[in-house]
Amino acid sequence: MKSTLPSKPKRSTNSTRNSKTSRMMKSSRPNKSGRADAVLTEIVRNGVLAVTEEMKINLMRTAYNMIIYEALDFTVGLYTASGETVSIGLGLPSFIRGMSNTIKAKIAHFGNNVGPGDILVTNDAYITGSHLHHFTFSIPIFFEGKLCAWSCCMAHWPDVGGVLGGVTTDIFSEGLQIPILKYQTAGVVNQDLVDIIFNNVRIPERAMGDLRAQIIAVTTGEKRFLELLQRYGRQNVLTSIERIMDNSEAKARAQTRAIPDGIYEAESFMDDDGVDIGKRIPIKVRVIKKGEHMTIDLSGVSPQVRGFYNSGPSTGISCAQVAYKCLTSALDYPINEGSFRTLKTIVPEGTVVSAVKPAAMRWWMTYPMTVIDTVFKAMHQAMPDQVIAGHHADLGLGMVNGISPKDGRFFMGSVGPSGGGWGAKSTEDGMSATVCMNDGDTHNNPIEQMEAKFPLLFLKHELRQDSGGAGRFRGGLGTEQVVMARSSLNFNAQVDRMHCQPWGLDGGQSGEGNQVTIKLAGVVQDKFPNAKVLMKRLNAGDTFTLLTGGGGGFGPPQERDPARVAHDVRQGYISQKAAKDTYKVVLNSAGEVEMNATQDLRSRSDQ
Amino acid sequence: MKQTLNTRIAADIGGTFTDVAAFDEKTSRLLLGKTLSTPDKLVRGITQGVQKAETHFGDSSLFLHGSTVAINTMLERTGAKTALLITQGFKDIYEIGRINRPDAYNLFFHKHVPLIERALRFEVPERITAEGDIYLPLDEVAVHALCDQMIAQKVESVAILLLHCYRNPYHEERVKAIVRERMPHCFVSASHELSQEYREFERCSTVVANAYIGPKVSDYVAEISEHIREDGFKGSFLIVQSTGGLYESAQAQQECIRMLESGPAAGVVGAQALCRELGLQNAVAFDMGGTTAKAGVIYQGEVLTTSAALVGGYNQALPVQIPMVDVFEVGTGGGSIARVDPSGALQVGPQSAGAQPGPACYGLGGELPTVTDANLVLGRIASDRFLGGEMRLDLRAAEAAILKHVGRPLGLSAKEAANGILRIATTTMSYAVKGVSTERGLDAASFPLIAYGGAGPLHACAIAREIGMAQVIIPKAPGHFCAFGMLHSDLRYDFVRTWFNKLADVSFKELKGVYQELVNQGKKALTHSRIKAAKVNVAYAADMRYVGQEHPVTVELSESVMKKGDREAIKALFDAVHLRRYGTCAPKEAAEIVSLRATVSGMMKKPPLETIPKGSRQVLKSAQTGSRSVYFAELNKSVMTPTFQRDALRSGNRLVGPALIEEYASITVVLPGDRLRVDEYGNLVIDIERNFS
Repeated sequence: MKSTLPSKPKRSTNSTRNSKTSRMMKSSRPNKSGRADAVLTEIVRNGVLAVTEEMKINLMRTAYNMIIYEALDFTVGLYTASGETVSIGLGLPSFIRGMSNTIKAKIAHFGNNVGPGDILVTNDAYITGSHLHHFTFSIPIFFEGKLCAWSCCMAHWPDVGGVLGGVTTDIFSEGLQIPILKYQTAGVVNQDLVDIIFNNVRIPERAMGDLRAQIIAVTTGEKRFLELLQRYGRQNVLTSIERIMDNSEAKARAQTRAIPDGIYEAESFMDDDGVDIGKRIPIKVRVIKKGEHMTIDLSGVSPQVRGFYNSGPSTGISCAQVAYKCLTSALDYPINEGSFRTLKTIVPEGTVVSAVKPAAMRWWMTYPMTVIDTVFKAMHQAMPDQVIAGHHADLGLGMVNGISPKDGRFFMGSVGPSGGGWGAKSTEDGMSATVCMNDGDTHNNPIEQMEAKFPLLFLKHELRQDSGGAGRFRGGLGTEQVVMARSSLNFNAQVDRMHCQPWGLDGGQSGEGNQVTIKLAGVVQDKFPNAKVLMKRLNAGDTFTLLTGGGGGFGPPQERDPARVAHDVRQGYISQKAAKDTYKVVLNSAGEVEMNATQDLRSRSDQ
Repeated sequence: MKQTLNTRIAADIGGTFTDVAAFDEKTSRLLLGKTLSTPDKLVRGITQGVQKAETHFGDSSLFLHGSTVAINTMLERTGAKTALLITQGFKDIYEIGRINRPDAYNLFFHKHVPLIERALRFEVPERITAEGDIYLPLDEVAVHALCDQMIAQKVESVAILLLHCYRNPYHEERVKAIVRERMPHCFVSASHELSQEYREFERCSTVVANAYIGPKVSDYVAEISEHIREDGFKGSFLIVQSTGGLYESAQAQQECIRMLESGPAAGVVGAQALCRELGLQNAVAFDMGGTTAKAGVIYQGEVLTTSAALVGGYNQALPVQIPMVDVFEVGTGGGSIARVDPSGALQVGPQSAGAQPGPACYGLGGELPTVTDANLVLGRIASDRFLGGEMRLDLRAAEAAILKHVGRPLGLSAKEAANGILRIATTTMSYAVKGVSTERGLDAASFPLIAYGGAGPLHACAIAREIGMAQVIIPKAPGHFCAFGMLHSDLRYDFVRTWFNKLADVSFKELKGVYQELVNQGKKALTHSRIKAAKVNVAYAADMRYVGQEHPVTVELSESVMKKGDREAIKALFDAVHLRRYGTCAPKEAAEIVSLRATVSGMMKKPPLETIPKGSRQVLKSAQTGSRSVYFAELNKSVMTPTFQRDALRSGNRLVGPALIEEYASITVVLPGDRLRVDEYGNLVIDIERNFS
């Protein structure tokens, strides 16, 4: 019933021609018996998957903050001695590159000056590519006196100091910055560092709890990886890891080869950066596919912005890697460096996904998702059956803080992440109410838990009718949450893509955008210029509403099977009005399709 | 008129076989019967199994039963037309779920599919707060109107989920009463009856699953009840729950979801019974069948349980939030298919050839190589002795499949490829064992591995070596072990209630009050049972965490610690559990209680283990049935390996591997250097040679 060993089926590749690249030749040196490699490789593959899975479970189960234990906003992984990704536990896709780059920066910083019992830390936003909330801890794993690998863990701390709410415009207002340091040296904890952290965060006990949980995760990774080395021998394991990467490379290579050569471009927009209201932010991507290689060029992505929606260069690379993995080896596990050897990313310094200091980074999560979606939009021309229409592309968070009437203490929390609609494909409808691309195995927070922890009362959490973009295949539905304050609190929502709605493909229509409204003293306020509702004071009885967007549709709506339209009306996914006006389907009073009338209506509107 | 009824009969219906174990108290004999399951009419399999065991319902005082009917109804989606009544504003929380995308890069991912379509999810005007206060009173008129709608739509079963009912069940009780009154023939289930833990999606999924399978499972239980009474049965009919405990068939007809995993749970209970008889405190119970391998654990004499499970694979899982035996499952079984993907990677499972088309060697149309084919090619299974020779296996087909799909692509001989397949299967299965032991902070190396199920004994010694375990125990009749386990089960009632309180602020008066309520419920259920329990046991536990943490660990509380209200002792117990589980604890940090758990067991009189005749160290000549060439990676070659007939082994017999012990539905592989002895009950106790690894 429960299996935590994700031994998942692979998307099949078409051909094995050319799979012997020069890299593979080099790495297929024999261990005991060269021919037994495939067996040991699979054993080690299952082994590293199990290690990162256990790291994930231990972090989740010992963490103190909902964003870690419930939302699973973290990434755990094993890396080679030089910082290449070996296995990332299911976590944040947008952080696919962040940890590898962080380890490489740590290696560059310390050189040989790391030893057994050391634990390195940083939350430098420009290194991780994200925000100061991402504390990353790394243990160098030594075996028989040699550095063999790294065990790492990034987790999102809900508070790292800095201003509360609003939109920041530089990094210094966003909180405590810890450069690359040793949290622990040869087993001895750097208490000065701990004290500095303790004094700079709003709820230090929680932060210390999360810190302990992260240490549990990285030490679990170290312990279990050492067991693998002991069991199978250092060289055998390391050689198998090279083979795992080579196999992943071969899969990605074969898929890439199958994509028609060409140059593919697309553009989309963000609403604004929260500072220059209404000024659209262009996201332009260019994909060059030639032979077995793909280049994703992000030079056309907007320069970094004043508001806090920037992310660092690691994230620019993440954007390209996530898009590439989705298109070439989505189900290949573990997630490792080999999958990206046939990908080249061009990201000049200073864009919104390669920002430089002192760019504001706190809401780094939002824009990269649209960058990724825009790559799919570009690739629609090349591989229409393997891409997806636009999704809601936002976490849909409503941030609250204040003083709890229960114990008189400061609290902070978030409603969301909220699921939204995903894009339709050429063969099926989009999924409804699912977390955005930034996140993967991320969960929402149970209402019963939110209400037990915070002075909130949820009034509604439902699917949004008609929010999915119409099409031959319909986009998934977004959601609506209405939440009431039970005592005074501060509210912030930094949501984007209200105006720039999730696009359809191939004649499919866009889905509804994201939106945030509030109701103060009985008066609805829904005429905001964007979905950024900042620094609002809510009193008992006031409410806020989070609406997440739907996914884009695929193909013309009038080509949708009328039976599906009737089904959608029966379930309330779409209204009768949409059935008639958009899908041109006529239903009788029992909700059944009137075939003749439908054909008439459809042929009339074709003209 | 008092008749002496001497037999208790247990029947475990699995996907392929129906196993019957019967214990005759007069003769102290264990009778066994195995027959193919009869999916169209499952009760027939029971009758046949009972006949095969040469016993009669007329002599029987107790009928114990485990079945896959509940899980299959859920997985195959063959349940009733079910409606959901849910707090106004929240009819979609069951469809929205937890919004996660485990396959984060798969643009073609699919979410869980609800068992109830949106059109049959109805909202009830009412609201209770997290504190249990009524914020919006229940609109009973609206409930009546919803009943009209459900009647018009011919709804067969109704699930009720109202927010925070674990704090205050009043509204759920009222809604249920109204539905019962208005729809008397309908199955009705309210969430607080099954789970009094918070998390609305999980509780919703639980109550919906119960309502969805309810009518079918309830009919099934009624049909069996009637059927066995026709066969002369006058005793009590009990069903095995997912905790391994028993409950009355009448209760099973209401709380069907509790029997979801009755078969696997009974196996772990069997292992516990074996531990009790052998004086073992700890063991890992390992069960391997055709498609999966499962491990559970016995720790300090108790079966470890978990408070929830996911049904149907992680990505699209439907959660069920009730106590269950903590079983870790991997997709490796005898039917698991081995394949080499285009990049040259060899994988085994989780795709399975199942019983149809089956492994290549079955000759039923399967062409892909499986774990069973690998065992045959290596000589571990004989082609002419499978299922006591009832089914001939095709060695050449197995070899050809392995060569074609694994050997040639990797440049390996059939034997090398088969050995590779087994090595991968062994390591994968070792993660099931580690999943319940080392990952729970338990030292697997010091635990014996009790292996059963058709395929468990084939692989147990290899798995033990992989993990560094010192001892393997193959119980008598490993293929009937789940049915055997049922004979050793107790009546059991589990109660959990969410009860948030900081340990420092806990009012022990209030805590004892909650426990008393839970225990009284259990004792009441026991009194109502027709079984007179020999003794009543009450176990207390609390789910605890550090203040600020979310996920709790379960801490067993002795009655004295609980009654004394010893905060410090409770805190120390919690710190110790956290330390064991995660390798660290924070004694200076404050702790809190999340939920209180009480388990009330009506201890049943257990049948003693049957002993077998004594023999000498030397195995009887007549027990050896021959020898065959078997490949062992440890020796890097094939060697002639003696085969023994298990029935002919005697207590005290010893032998050193390599050896094969064959019986009707199973083969035990004793690896080179492993030392086997037969104990007085006929168990094979195998000490693992440590020099091979």
